[in-house]
Amino acid sequence: VASRYQITCAAELESLAAFRELINSACRQHPQVDRQTCYDLQLAVDEACTNVITHGYAGMNPGSIILALVFVPQQVLVTITDFGHPFEPYEPPVPDVQAGLEDLPMGGFGLFFIYQAMDEISYRTAEDGNHLTFLKRLGPIPGK
Amino acid sequence: VEIQEKKVDQTLVVSVVGSIDAHTAEQVLSFLRQRVSGGQSQFVLDLGQVDFMSSAGLRVIVDILRKSRNQGGDLRLASAQGGVENTLVISGFTRVIKTYPTVEAAVGSFGSE
Repeated sequence: VASRYQITCAAELESLAAFRELINSACRQHPQVDRQTCYDLQLAVDEACTNVITHGYAGMNPGSIILALVFVPQQVLVTITDFGHPFEPYEPPVPDVQAGLEDLPMGGFGLFFIYQAMDEISYRTAEDGNHLTFLKRLGPIPGK
Repeated sequence: VEIQEKKVDQTLVVSVVGSIDAHTAEQVLSFLRQRVSGGQSQFVLDLGQVDFMSSAGLRVIVDILRKSRNQGGDLRLASAQGGVENTLVISGFTRVIKTYPTVEAAVGSFGSE
């Protein structure tokens, strides 16, 4: 049995709290999702939506972001849909904080956190928008 | 987000209550920058009541860390827990920033130098 949750918000930074709140309340209804997993989902969604808001819709009329969550027994599937400029995520190098604070590439941390927090990441652009999909497996995963 | 401050000797303890995301980070940053401009250089950032922090929060920390160290002071973190603490660890921040389990320990670390 799958349960599905969805919210559509304006693509503005004020909406980030509403996206996290949907994840929080959905996780509370699923005891198999532990606190760290819930946090990981919020972090990945927050970072991805921040990128869409600040880069995806740059120079455009403000649009919307659709966040959809599907919970099945062993995994959570997250889809973030927007209608801005496509931006395919990539796995950044591990930030080298010890290289010196002055040279720290701060922009890289958002993507770094997404790749740390999620198990699978995919991206698709179509006429009905840009679709960023995360998969988070539940339960103990060796080496993760 | 709610921001509280308390001066203990030469150290300003800044406690943030709520979530630090790309929206609220601006508030925290401008609060701390004002204190730096006012000559404050020793900071303890109390994260004990922060339930969420994204990379926007890391940007605030690095900004104030640089500015406070340039003025001969430092920014130290206290009481981070759960996902917030995990974020600081996996980003490598805990290797370049001093972190303490309590505000008292963080404040005391300035006095013991």
